[in-house]
Amino acid sequence: MVLALVLAGCASAGGSAASPVMASPDVAAASPPPPPPSPSVVASDVDYEARLQFLDTPIAGGSVAPPTHAKQPPHAPGLPHAPVPAKPVLSAPAAPTEAPPTTATPAPPPRRESLLIYTATLVLAVFQVDASLTKIEELSRSVGGYLASRNDTSIVIRVPRARFQEALGEVAKIGDVLHRNVEAQDVSDQVVDLEARLKNARAVRDRIAQLLQGATATKDALEIEKELARVMGEIELMEGKLQLFADKIAYSTVTVNFQALHTSEVHAMARLPFPWLQELGLSTLLQVR
Amino acid sequence: MRTLSSSASISLFALALTLAPAGCGPIFTLDTPSGMIELKDQGSYAYRAMTPDGVVLGVRVIEDAGKTDVAFWVQAVTLHMKELSGYALLSSVDVTTASGSAGKELRFGHDEAGKPYVYVVRIFVAPKHQLVIVEAGGAKDEMERNRPMVEAAMASVKLR
Repeated sequence: MVLALVLAGCASAGGSAASPVMASPDVAAASPPPPPPSPSVVASDVDYEARLQFLDTPIAGGSVAPPTHAKQPPHAPGLPHAPVPAKPVLSAPAAPTEAPPTTATPAPPPRRESLLIYTATLVLAVFQVDASLTKIEELSRSVGGYLASRNDTSIVIRVPRARFQEALGEVAKIGDVLHRNVEAQDVSDQVVDLEARLKNARAVRDRIAQLLQGATATKDALEIEKELARVMGEIELMEGKLQLFADKIAYSTVTVNFQALHTSEVHAMARLPFPWLQELGLSTLLQVR
Repeated sequence: MRTLSSSASISLFALALTLAPAGCGPIFTLDTPSGMIELKDQGSYAYRAMTPDGVVLGVRVIEDAGKTDVAFWVQAVTLHMKELSGYALLSSVDVTTASGSAGKELRFGHDEAGKPYVYVVRIFVAPKHQLVIVEAGGAKDEMERNRPMVEAAMASVKLR
């Protein structure tokens, strides 16, 4: 019976599982106004266990874009303007109490920018590989990025999305570019899906929290707790994935593999041209006739 | 025509013998131990002998070495064996032939197909500026078992 109540709560609080709801304020203007929040769904922290508090901390920000393309939410004067974040994140704050727009004919939504993960792989031919590896590591820091990994012949750096092209240009100057591959992976659909699922899960969590407050029988309370733990686990997983997406979008990955340049084969050591010296050793000594 | 008397012929023969270049004969001698058999016609080896269990002793004479500095060739042989042939230098000691010529012994270890081997090289300069290289080698166990005999044979080398 408890679980039936939970499922009923899902249907009333969500109702949007089938159609993803855009979390960013600019796109929300085009969708029908959200239903007035049920009194049982509370955005603020539920005051019964400390472990739930951090889950209600909103992830601030707008849609992910290079800092130069920051947008103001056009239709919600009541909302504070989200400042351009130093490390852009993905989802807008969960605001069930958000007031519906008052305009009669909502303006067409601006086209949401695709969320892209940029990666580049280059193969460079250089004379001194070690010195070139160090140059690239310093370059990553100079553009506000960092070293991800390094070995004898390759290096991986992460650079801010806004300076990706600049970093690629600087890397190409270090040696002869033998191979270059740049990819942009559009993860918009995955992010939107995750955001919608996260919003639903939070609504379910809040509903379960309310039920737990009202539970009188210990058996019922235990069942509700179990369900709550499961939903919280899912929320954590989704939040982690969103954070991972945010990181990959904010910082592009550049992998550089090095090949040593040589115009002619050089023996590591010149050998004395004496046949008897080359014949020394067990293989000749033990080959008796 | 005047012919030589027999006594004059003998004197001339003796003179020829004394004036004959030293390189006409072997420039070294070595006592083959009773536990080894000397092998004939061994190509670039002036001497080669072996035990029944596979330990081999060999001597090379280098006529045109270009340089007869023992230290130079010790370095050359060491580098060649270590860096180009994958041998590990175990020891380097001063040695002397039975005839008093100073030289160097280099002892190397080498693994082949997981089996350890020992390879010993002694480098000398002969009085007529040839290089004499004395080698001994075999599987490590056999070399250890025959070590006294091998060392005695190497120590019996005399240079002329």
